Amino acid sequence: MKLQHNLGGLEGLDSAPLDFEKRVFVQDWEKRIFGIHAAMMALSESLRGALPGYDMDAVPTAFKTIWTWADLRKGAEAMNPFAYFQFRYYEKWLGGITAYFVEKGYLTQAELDAATERYRESPGTALPSSHNEAIDQQVIRYLREGDSPRRGPATPSFAIGDRVVVGNPPTGEHTRLPGYLRGHTGVVQRVFEGNYTYLCSTGTDGLGEPMPVYIVRFEPAEIWGDVAEPNAGPLYAELYQTYLSAHTPKDGDK
Amino acid sequence: MTEQFSYSADREPASAAQVRALEALLIEKGVITDTTVDKVLGYFESEMTPLNGQKIVARAWVDPEFAQLLAKDTPAAIAQLDLPEGMAGAEGEHIAAVLNEPGVHNVVICTLCSCFPWPVLGLPPYWYKDPVFRSRAAREPRVVLSELGVPLADDTEIRVWDSSGHSRWFVVPERPAGTEGWTEEQLAGLVTTESMIGVALANQPSAA
Repeated sequence: MKLQHNLGGLEGLDSAPLDFEKRVFVQDWEKRIFGIHAAMMALSESLRGALPGYDMDAVPTAFKTIWTWADLRKGAEAMNPFAYFQFRYYEKWLGGITAYFVEKGYLTQAELDAATERYRESPGTALPSSHNEAIDQQVIRYLREGDSPRRGPATPSFAIGDRVVVGNPPTGEHTRLPGYLRGHTGVVQRVFEGNYTYLCSTGTDGLGEPMPVYIVRFEPAEIWGDVAEPNAGPLYAELYQTYLSAHTPKDGDK
Repeated sequence: MTEQFSYSADREPASAAQVRALEALLIEKGVITDTTVDKVLGYFESEMTPLNGQKIVARAWVDPEFAQLLAKDTPAAIAQLDLPEGMAGAEGEHIAAVLNEPGVHNVVICTLCSCFPWPVLGLPPYWYKDPVFRSRAAREPRVVLSELGVPLADDTEIRVWDSSGHSRWFVVPERPAGTEGWTEEQLAGLVTTESMIGVALANQPSAA
């Protein structure tokens, strides 16, 4: 598990001030990388299996590979954990997305460096022009219709009220299991209707095939022990079934 | 902060040039068009904004049956309102509301990254993605809320929701006192993005 997976409840930050910046973008350039990321998700090959039935063959884009949130997260989770905190949110996006396009062969580092140099020297230079309604239409259609992971009826192993223990699988490239919950015991609060797939297989981490999802209620004292907040209320997490196993009562357990 | 975390003066122009170069090359190569990014941004500037969340909350305040449905089946409730097409679109496929009530206050966080209900609230503000907030709000929400100036009684139960699965959560704050007889439009004006994540209460009538 990496530090990026285990931010919840990190000790030693009690005196760290909150940066209550309400803006979504703090630099204009950040908007552009957000827009590129959204377009990549909308043009991703992975949408061939999406429920809205996107006709990807009719979209004349040169983008022919998969890009989902999981790919963005793999980049952030692969970072040196200390470097992770040196970069602002969209700086990490810019680094990860640029690296993806070079790795996948859409552009070369040399092309990118040369173009970057040109825009450094003349920031006002216009973008190249190219019109293609069908690409933009797919992008907006994706934003409106999304990519629901729901697949088939629920096949739950646990019921409301069951005590469950959170596993500690190897994280691999990407996980949806918050580190601070690993090894802890909670109670199933809700079983979602339907099973849920994931954006990709996360390998040893366990996601990918359709599976039940639960809301599990945790008591802060059970998670944090002595450093739990006094008078703390419950913490709820939404957890995929692969991360859970049945709690086996031991002598002395309540 | 230490030197390690200082920003060079060059940092922003360098990123600006890099993203411009990237967008230009992607247009040249036929990945996107010269209008794609602007259209994405326009969608979030004009249609998927916190205004949608404000309208949902205002309806819940004036219509108890709607509020009940919102808690039980959030997408079905949202579908009843006259909101932009796409409320179940990207990052809204499985929206879920949690309702504050006397003695219960909810806070939504995403300790792993930045899961956020785009169609209801628009794109996440920076504070939501701040590692210090994500870390502290999980373990000491009462202290965090107090630092942010949220006046909660000591016996109010704080419920923290970590967005680690497919749902995208938002909070329905409590209706402020002194708003009897207000129209939904007036009420919507009291609802802030921060109050719909649970790090603020809805504005008081006097502050509106």
